[in-house]
Amino acid sequence: MRDRKREVAIVGVGQTKYSSHREDVNQPEMISEAIFEALEQTSLTMDDIDCIVHGNMELFEMIYQPDLWHTIGTGASGKECLRLTTGGTTGATLVCAADALVASGMHDIVMAIGFEKLQEGHTTGGITNMADPLWGRKLQSGALVGITATQMIEEFGEERAKKASIDYRIIMDMHAMKNPKAHRRLGLNFDMAEDLMNNSPQLVGELRMIHMCSQSDGACVVILASEDKAKEICDRPAWILDHVTVHREEHMGTLFGFKKEKLTHRHAAEVLFKRNNINDPVNEFDVFEMYDPSSWWGVDWLREFLLFDGDEHLKLVENREILIDGKFPVNPSGGVIASNPIGATAMVRFAEAALQIMGKAGEHQVKKEVNKALASGFGGTFWTVLGILTADKPER
Amino acid sequence: MYRNSFIVHGKLALPYQYFAGRLGSKFIKTLEKEHKIIGTRCKKCNTVYVPPRSICDRCFLDIKDNLEEVSKEGTVLSYTVVNSYEDHYPERPPFILGLIKLDKADTPFVHIIKNVPINKMKSNIRVRAIFSNTPTDTILNISHFEPVDYSVFEVGYTYEELEIGMSASFTKTITETDVYLFAGISGDFNPMHVNEEYSKKGIFGKRVAHGVVPQSLIAPVLGTKLPGLGTVAIEINTRFRRPTYFGDTITAIATVKEKIEEKKWVKMALKFINQKGEIIADGEAIVMPPKG
Repeated sequence: MRDRKREVAIVGVGQTKYSSHREDVNQPEMISEAIFEALEQTSLTMDDIDCIVHGNMELFEMIYQPDLWHTIGTGASGKECLRLTTGGTTGATLVCAADALVASGMHDIVMAIGFEKLQEGHTTGGITNMADPLWGRKLQSGALVGITATQMIEEFGEERAKKASIDYRIIMDMHAMKNPKAHRRLGLNFDMAEDLMNNSPQLVGELRMIHMCSQSDGACVVILASEDKAKEICDRPAWILDHVTVHREEHMGTLFGFKKEKLTHRHAAEVLFKRNNINDPVNEFDVFEMYDPSSWWGVDWLREFLLFDGDEHLKLVENREILIDGKFPVNPSGGVIASNPIGATAMVRFAEAALQIMGKAGEHQVKKEVNKALASGFGGTFWTVLGILTADKPER
Repeated sequence: MYRNSFIVHGKLALPYQYFAGRLGSKFIKTLEKEHKIIGTRCKKCNTVYVPPRSICDRCFLDIKDNLEEVSKEGTVLSYTVVNSYEDHYPERPPFILGLIKLDKADTPFVHIIKNVPINKMKSNIRVRAIFSNTPTDTILNISHFEPVDYSVFEVGYTYEELEIGMSASFTKTITETDVYLFAGISGDFNPMHVNEEYSKKGIFGKRVAHGVVPQSLIAPVLGTKLPGLGTVAIEINTRFRRPTYFGDTITAIATVKEKIEEKKWVKMALKFINQKGEIIADGEAIVMPPKG
C-alpha cells in the first residue's frame, strides 16, 4: 500500500448472534448489541469513538438513509458519520474506508458498522434490481447462480465436482458448529454427503439448497485505531497490512459467458500478493476468511484467490486441508454459507480474521498461532475486496 | 391501516421508467425493420458487443458509432430450463433460455430456444434467430432461436438412460426379392434358397431365406431404436431355430438384459419371431451405446 501517514489496526470486534429472525429487536437495537460487545472488548466508551462509518445493502429493508435514524442505536449522535453501500462488498468497503480515515490522520478511532435485517425485506427482489432494467432484470434470479456448478462438472467430472462442493459445505458446517454466533448450525458430517448432494432441493441446476448461503439478520462492528492508540487498547491488535478493491461491471446476461476472463478475485490476489511479496499463499497465510455465498463458489474461488490453475483447490478440499486444524484453515467461523447478514457479511470476514490474530475467536480459534490472515469480500456483478491482516505492525 | 403495531407489514410498489437510449432503441428497431442483429465494435480491443453498448468499459472509449451487423446464427454457450411461471415470462414453462453467442459477436445474450426436446438440450449446439412478423418494440422482435441442425438431437439412449427391460422391435416381410438380392450380395446361390424344384426334395419342402436375412432385421433395432443412433455393435450371437419362408413376416426384438458397468456396454437379448409367433432365432448382442 502506498503512502500512509500512519499504521492502523483492528482493535475490537463485536457481533450479534446471526439468525433468520430477530423479532425481539428493531434495527438500531440490534446494531447496538454488536456495538456494546465491541466497546466491552476494547474497554472504550462511545466518547472515545471519533467517527462512524455505517453501511448495508441499498433498500434491502425498504428503508432510505438508515444511518440517520439508526443514530439512536449507533451512538453516532453528534459525531462524524458516513454511509457507504457497495453491495455484497459493503462490509469490507466499510473497513477499507475506516482504515483510510485513520491512516490519513483525520481520525484516531473509527467504528465501522455493517448490518442487515433481511427478514424485514426481500433479498432476492433487492439483488435482482442490481441488473440493467432493460437487458438483465427479467433474467436475474437474485444471487442464485448455477453456472459455476455446470462449469466445474464439465471440467472435473460430475462425481468429483459434486463431492468437492458438498465436502466443502460439510466442512463449513463443522466450523459453524464451533461458532455460537453462526446462523445455520446443522450438525452435518461426511457420511451425509451422498444424500445431501443428490436429494437437497435443486435451486438452479446442481446448485442445491444445501449449497447456498442463508439470509440472516445481524450486525458486525469493527473498531480501528491509529498505531499509537492500538497497542493501548489491544494486546495483540490485527494490523492492516494492505487491501485492494477490484470492480467490474458486466451486463448480467453476459457475465459468465463473456470470453473466459480473469475473475476479479484472481486479479485482486495478483495485485495484493505482488505488492506484499506473497509467493506461496497457502503456506504464508495462517487462515483465510473468504466470502463464499455458495459451496460451489467456495471451492471455485479458492482456485482464484490462491492463484491455482489445475485442481489444487479441489485437493485442498478433498484432503480436508481447509478444516480448522488443517494446513490452510478456511472460514473457521463457518463462513457466509452459515451466516449472511449481507451488509455485515464482508465485514465479518475481516472481523473474524482479526479475532483469529487477536486470539479471541473462542471455540473456533485456529490452534496454530495466526500471524497473517487473508479476508475477502464479494459483491455486485463481480466485485472483490481482498485484504491482509498481520499480527506484526507493518514495516514499510 | 396496520393490523397491529408490533410488526409493520408493508409493500412498496414504486413506479419507475428506464430508457433504452438511442443505441438500444436502434438495436430493437433494426431487428424489427431489417431483421438484422447489430452490435458495436471497440476498435481498440476489437470486442463486438451485442446488444450494442455505447462505451467499451475495458478501454473506456466511445464506440457508439461503430455499428456492425453480426450473424443471425450462433452457438449456445449455456442454457437453463425455466420450470416455474412468473408473470413477466413471454412463454409458458417449461421452456429453454439459452446464452447465445452469435457469430461475429463477442458477447452472448439470452433468448428463448424452441424446437428442441428439453431432455435433449445441450450446450454448444448451433442456433439461428427466427424473426417475429408482429412488431413488439422489444427483443421479442426476434421470436426465438431454433437449431440449425436437428441431427444433433437424434442420438439414441446413453448407457445411463438405458434400463434393464427396455425393448424395441422392427418388422418386415421377407420376400423373394430380399433373398435373391442377398444371394447376389453374398454369392450364396445355394439351391435351397434359389431353386424351388430342388428345394421340394429337401427337409423344408420349399425355398427358404438365408438364415441371416431375417436376423439382419436386428440392425435397424439396435442402430436406430434401442439404444439407437450412435450405437456401435460389439458382438452378436444367434441360434437358428426355424426356417423363414418367402412371404413370412419377421419381427426382430431387442431387450436390455444387462448393463456392463466397467465398459459402459449393454448386453441385449435378441428374439426373432414370425407371423405365427414362432421363434425363428434367438441370441444376444453386446453393444456400446452412444455417449449422448
